[in-house]
Amino acid sequence: MSESTARRHGLEPFLASAESAAQARVEIRVVSNRGFLNLRLDQGDGAAVKDTTQVLGQPLPLASNTCTAGDHRVYWLGPDEWLIETGADRAARLVSELSEALARYHAALNDVSGGHVALCVSGIDARTVLAKGCTLDLHPREFGPGQCARTGLAKAVVVLAAIDDAPTCTVIVGRSFSDYLCRWLAHAARPHGVHFSMVRET
Amino acid sequence: MNTAPRRWRTSAHGFNAMLLIECPWCGPRAETEFSYGGEAGIVRPPDPDALSDAEWADYLFNRANPRGAHRELWNHTHGCRRWFAVERDTVTNQIQRSYTLDGTAPEPGTGSGTASKLTAESDTTSRIGSGG
Repeated sequence: MSESTARRHGLEPFLASAESAAQARVEIRVVSNRGFLNLRLDQGDGAAVKDTTQVLGQPLPLASNTCTAGDHRVYWLGPDEWLIETGADRAARLVSELSEALARYHAALNDVSGGHVALCVSGIDARTVLAKGCTLDLHPREFGPGQCARTGLAKAVVVLAAIDDAPTCTVIVGRSFSDYLCRWLAHAARPHGVHFSMVRET
Repeated sequence: MNTAPRRWRTSAHGFNAMLLIECPWCGPRAETEFSYGGEAGIVRPPDPDALSDAEWADYLFNRANPRGAHRELWNHTHGCRRWFAVERDTVTNQIQRSYTLDGTAPEPGTGSGTASKLTAESDTTSRIGSGG
């Protein structure tokens, strides 16, 4: 993690005072280099959905509040809107491939990588901490792996997704909110012991 | 703290409970995720020039403001960002049902707006985008 990245995210104070990873019951990783694409598409258009699925190599989640994982991670945001999360180095190629496949349909694809930050919240108390700022029922019975929701977390609009039973949750937030949300998370997680880190994933 | 006189408070529970609104696409969500869009079913006159000032003012400003059942527009701002209509009782705050503006209901959990047709008359989408 570079110092300038930590400064840009306003994370320096958290990194300095963080617990060691072994003691922490909540682990927050700021994933700084993910690619995000916003896809608008009429899901009633079967051919367009099929072509998108082919390019992505994984199904477009058509059921509400679900996401699919594969080469990329695709989140359902609305009946005609999806967020595609992928590696930063793969985003540009995916944009050109998808644009080509969708050229003959009524669809919109936008690279919104610069506007989003992914936070990976894991550890035994992860759900408890997230529940402090979220009105959804985050019990695994109601919000298990494979489910996602665009909702409010501490008044910020986020895409919240349950990834696995660890439990690991992904919080995707607007970049301009990431400083605020990290501060809120650090405060909310303090009683549980929190370890902050910054990672670059490929 | 709610400083309104007790007789003004509309909640049946004696306190202002948050509404739990059922988004036709996302399911039940807290009121804080939504924006209110005013009375539903108001149709923009097809030929505004043909209207008298009184009729135009009636379309622009006058609302039913009923005591009891009320059909109103809500937008799921922090979720799927869709407009839909809700039937709410303004006295008890009980929500009878919510439905999409084209009169169709998504199959539960599919996110698809093409399934079963509701019997209620469809609300127009003509006011959408005009603020609210």
